[in-house]
Amino acid sequence: MHELLSVTYINIDLSIALQVILLGFIGGILSGFIGSGGAFFMTPGMMNLGVDGVAAVASNIAHKFGKAMVGAKKHAAAGNVDNKLAIYMLATAIGGVQVAVWINSFLFKMGGGGGEEGHGAPKGAGANLYISLVFATILSVVAISMLRDIMKSNKKGQDGAGPSMKIAEFFAKLNLPPVINFPVSDTKVSLWVLMVVGIATGYLAGTIGVGGFIGVPCMIYVFGVPTAVATGTELYLALFMGGYGAISYALQGFVDLRLTMLLYIGSLIGVHLGVYGVKVVNEKYIRIVTCLIILLCVVSRVVAVPIYLRQLRLIDMNPAWDVYFNSGSKFFLFASGITGALVILLKVIQAYRSRRKIQQTLLVVREPGLQPAAETAEAA
Amino acid sequence: MAIVMISSLFQSGRKELAEIMAKKTNWPVLSREELVDRAREQGIKIGRLEVAMIKTPHQSEKLAREKDLYLAFLTATLCEKAREGSFIYYGRGGHLLLPGVSHRLRVGLSTPQEIRIDRTAQSLGLTPDKAVGYLKEIDDDFNRWLRFMHGVDSRDPKNFDAVFNLENIGLSNAADILSRMAEMPEFQPTAASTRMIENLSLSAQAKLRLALDDRTAEADLQVQTDNGVITVTYPPQQEQFRENIPAVLAELDGCREIQCTMAETNILWIQERFDPNAENYQQITQLAQRWGAAIELMRLIPPGEDAGNASASGADMDRAFSRKIQPYDGGVEDDDPQTIFNDGGLSRTKEDLLSQGRFGGQHTVCGGYASILERIQGSAQYTLVVIGDMFLSKGHSARTRQTRELALNIRDRVKAPVVTADEMKTRLLFSKKQGAQLAGFLALVVFLFIGVFTHQPELFSFLSGPLHQTYKWLSPIVMFLFIPLLAYLMGTVAGLALKIINID
Repeated sequence: MHELLSVTYINIDLSIALQVILLGFIGGILSGFIGSGGAFFMTPGMMNLGVDGVAAVASNIAHKFGKAMVGAKKHAAAGNVDNKLAIYMLATAIGGVQVAVWINSFLFKMGGGGGEEGHGAPKGAGANLYISLVFATILSVVAISMLRDIMKSNKKGQDGAGPSMKIAEFFAKLNLPPVINFPVSDTKVSLWVLMVVGIATGYLAGTIGVGGFIGVPCMIYVFGVPTAVATGTELYLALFMGGYGAISYALQGFVDLRLTMLLYIGSLIGVHLGVYGVKVVNEKYIRIVTCLIILLCVVSRVVAVPIYLRQLRLIDMNPAWDVYFNSGSKFFLFASGITGALVILLKVIQAYRSRRKIQQTLLVVREPGLQPAAETAEAA
Repeated sequence: MAIVMISSLFQSGRKELAEIMAKKTNWPVLSREELVDRAREQGIKIGRLEVAMIKTPHQSEKLAREKDLYLAFLTATLCEKAREGSFIYYGRGGHLLLPGVSHRLRVGLSTPQEIRIDRTAQSLGLTPDKAVGYLKEIDDDFNRWLRFMHGVDSRDPKNFDAVFNLENIGLSNAADILSRMAEMPEFQPTAASTRMIENLSLSAQAKLRLALDDRTAEADLQVQTDNGVITVTYPPQQEQFRENIPAVLAELDGCREIQCTMAETNILWIQERFDPNAENYQQITQLAQRWGAAIELMRLIPPGEDAGNASASGADMDRAFSRKIQPYDGGVEDDDPQTIFNDGGLSRTKEDLLSQGRFGGQHTVCGGYASILERIQGSAQYTLVVIGDMFLSKGHSARTRQTRELALNIRDRVKAPVVTADEMKTRLLFSKKQGAQLAGFLALVVFLFIGVFTHQPELFSFLSGPLHQTYKWLSPIVMFLFIPLLAYLMGTVAGLALKIINID
């Protein structure tokens, strides 16, 4: 451990480096596959390796900044970015990020009790507890909403019918002036609704490094933005928010550049594989896998909460038990990420093999009225 | 023979204009409402489609299928009507139907808002204030509907041949003017426009059959038609439908040949002349093999080129550029074998693509980007549009510039990446230059990692230690510059490395 002025940096040996690369790889696959950052996996994963919560968030935000830049460029080329919406969201989200950085720094400096070796640095126990609770609450809500959506569409037999527009219609009917028109997304949104969603997105991005999980569903369900545009705009937003978050955290001395670099090794390969997976996997399957991964991540964070509570002396628990809670937390996190990533990789490999196998398949019928005289050519 | 398509907002007088014109010309009238009723009888769920399309701003696969089915029904019915003779159609977005048919007369109406409010209030029994709100909602829905169905802005003047301001001209006079316009040579059928109707009709009939037949109703198919040849593209996971496609399309009037191609996606390739031995052909087929894509060929004949050749090869005349007037021939084609032979290499390229199982259909259009957009708007979904060798009669600089401008114009309107052949080479294919880039960037990344991990104490001091305390703003600035650079370098390395093994 390197005890510095504001944060404790962990020693990175080969084993830790490989684990961080693996976290990045799995996070990258998940982010490419479900389109929402992958921070929900990487942030707690780094905390499980002994990184301070705030350093994990800061390093991940810095990582997200660069990754979003690469992704946003691709989305912009495909016409999936609503610049006007992004500017409005950004203006409000910056406030949210600032609130998050302020709260995290305050809790970190307040410190905690403890002082023992073990999970994370006791100095950051307050911030760790806060981040874990926000993380668990928000992601539980997201996962349960997604599951309900899937079950509803199953009952109605409406696979592929798209997301419900009830919330968007409700806000549209309220017609709270000033209402802003977004031609690219083909929707109109009240400035007040925009501000609330923007601040919430910024706050969550700054607190747990998970902005897309809120921003994308809000744009789809609350604003009524098409899914592709919501994803592209969110990535564009993440670029600026990530940049702002990275600068803010770097100013406080929380960013561990080594972690950011190691995350990139895995994530930039993983994200390509994840995106490839989206092209070949059924949409409902994507949503189910996403839900299960998120729920397991939530369980992982909840299992770690007693450690922070003990460090803050809010509960009386034997410090020797920390190792069990920490192991349990690690188990659920890695189980969720590795299972999800393996399932996605399996699909990617299947698709890759079938694509190589079926290079040519052709059927030509020159006289449709007659029995088909088919000429087929199977590839070598 | 004339096809008059009147389009306007709600309560703007389109029905009245159509009826007055019908009285003057004795041409039959067809309304959108009539077609919707007929579509419902066929089992097409228009109501659900309308509600979903207007309320839900994104299209699911299911909605996209319903939309295609509805458009196919409208096209098939209007083509059938066009074969019988002149007619007048009125409805919202009527001016966007039968795309590419040069002899239709597309009419728009601009009606004073106060008149619309009065008419709405009277017809629905609303107060004027409520009528204003109602009209605003219905106009918004109308615009959304056009964007969803046809991907265009309703106010775009390029989509009309004539727009009447009813504040200044009466309906009867407008009908008179339209009747005379419809007799002009510009709105008379030509060989090309008649052939276009045949193509649209056959394509629509094929889509309807495939969508309404239980054996193929669940399949995601792309249908293209050219001169009696129907090309159906189906995704690999739906191979079970392959044998059913010819059976469903059997005995379809006007069908000479059916080609079924399996593909995960479609690439549209626009070019003046095709050559299966050319370098760009090898490149695009290489890309298609990697993506599992079918290639749809679109031959573009630029404005000013030989119209006779264009006509013989199945082109329709461009309307946005030089409007060439062809003599009225009642749709009878010149069957000079010499001109039919010159199809810009389409046949040879098609045969070669067929042998590779990559053929996704073909078209020929004459004109500029407006013609291309009209032809492809709201129809097939492409993963990529490639603008190949264009403007061949121009010098190198002019050719490069005009090709780039064409790509830019199309890019603004098509929901798919549009690249020129050069861009395709650099961005999508693995070249030697990219190999050098991969090696260079990889070396740089390794150097950066070694630098950072062998100087950790200095790094800690800079990030959070004494150096950070002294120069607090330095680390955010360096981070702001270093991280995107690193992401770019590593992202490029990862992308190129995966490209080598065909994962992209």
